[in-house]
Amino acid sequence: MTPTETRTQYQEELERLEASALDGLDMVSTALQRTLEAVEQQDVELAQLVVADDDRIDGRYLEVHQSLITLLATQSPVATDLRLISALLHVLKNVERMGDQCVNICKMIPLSGNEPPADPEMVKLILSMGGQARALISQAKRAFAGRDVELARDLVIQDDMVDELNRDCFRLALEIGDDADRREWAMTMLLGARAIERIADNAVDIGEQVAFVVTGLFREFEDASHPAG
Amino acid sequence: MDSRHPTQSQTMTEPTPEPQASAPQRGPAISIAGSSGPRPLKKGRDVGNVQLKDLNAHYGANHAVRGVSLDFDADRVTAIIGPSGCGKSTMVRCINRMHEEISGARASGQVLLDGLDLYDKAIDVVAVRRAVGMVFQKPNPFPTMSVLDNVTAGLRLTGASRGELEDRGHEALVGAGLWDEVKDRLKAPGAGLSGGQQQRLCIARALAVEPEVLLMDEPCSALDPVATLKIEELIGELKQRVTVVIVTHNMQQAARVADTTVFMLGGELVEVGPTDKMFTNPDDDRTEQYVTGKFG
Repeated sequence: MTPTETRTQYQEELERLEASALDGLDMVSTALQRTLEAVEQQDVELAQLVVADDDRIDGRYLEVHQSLITLLATQSPVATDLRLISALLHVLKNVERMGDQCVNICKMIPLSGNEPPADPEMVKLILSMGGQARALISQAKRAFAGRDVELARDLVIQDDMVDELNRDCFRLALEIGDDADRREWAMTMLLGARAIERIADNAVDIGEQVAFVVTGLFREFEDASHPAG
Repeated sequence: MDSRHPTQSQTMTEPTPEPQASAPQRGPAISIAGSSGPRPLKKGRDVGNVQLKDLNAHYGANHAVRGVSLDFDADRVTAIIGPSGCGKSTMVRCINRMHEEISGARASGQVLLDGLDLYDKAIDVVAVRRAVGMVFQKPNPFPTMSVLDNVTAGLRLTGASRGELEDRGHEALVGAGLWDEVKDRLKAPGAGLSGGQQQRLCIARALAVEPEVLLMDEPCSALDPVATLKIEELIGELKQRVTVVIVTHNMQQAARVADTTVFMLGGELVEVGPTDKMFTNPDDDRTEQYVTGKFG
């Protein structure tokens, strides 16, 4: 028997939706870049732009999500296709959550006012965290597109660096002194650091979906409730 | 099969023996010529295990089934999937020796039912088909017979009494999920039923002789979606009493009804496994390509 290729339109649609979902990671990366700039510059207008622009990320989520549901309903995907669609639904959710974290950070910027940063060292740490988180987003996208499980697993190592920077932020906040205004600023920045740390976690979640698509088995790379060693 | 039947092709062309008149049997039995009577098989959940051992089937020069070894476990539904011409129907027809009815067809290897070689020379082929029932693609009720007569057609060959025929007919119609729909027209022609009802009538006819195994070759391909779903629900119930082997082109149907799925290609068994695994993470790339529709 000579197999003949079939379902080319369906396959093209699935490829288009994967590209569209992964493109959402670029949108998030851009949003995070602007968020970091807004934090660094205490730029309230830029922060408001990020908040408004989150509708585009949410729109991408809704559009691709609906199309994937339609594919499930009409094409009965199985095997790798089914795993891919399941993974893309997770990716979309992570993209949407990362966008929301950027919004969370940007909404806090007006709280800290237009005054100069209370602690440049802490701002530097947050910018470093943000840069590292953007690198994770990019790596997650490459791992997914290339079905590269090793690259996906490496996200855990990169995420550890973000976690370490987050702990440094916490230590700085503790040392910031007794002044109420400075403490309030530090607490606000800590929430921002926490949001960036979650963005990095979302990137690791996407990496776990890469492994699921490739192997068919879902395993958390790291179990937060049962950390290794 | 080969070692016991060096001239297997001759065996396949032997005339089908007439059914032996015997006392009505309340259970499947495969009679062995020379024995004192029908040989009752053990009943219970472990009855109805089918084993294929290095099964090969030919149509003349066409080698349709190539060295398939496979177990069909009792009380499970096994779906056979694969593209047209992959040998799935031929393989199934070898189980109840229907394959040998085709001119020029031959088979080798072994087909065991609960350890009994169904191709053993001592085995009565009619008893084989009583123990291994079959439902075909298109419903094929006897057009001039009533609903009840259709169901009991096979039983009458056993010499069952009228009362027993009615009891067993009723039981089979209930088992096929058809009783409520036909109880008031048991004397009406079977051909007057809808397509879905006719197919369930054929299932009832197969069940009436209490088979251990029920082979279903594309049983829903001529039915509408509602009738299809009724048959699929019925399959889920039937597996409690018979081993079900279903050949289907509809992969969603296989996914819905089968516990185990077998994928065949070019006459060979490519992969067999739990249905959920076969449709989410098959081991063989050819299975993956087929179930995802990348070829057909």
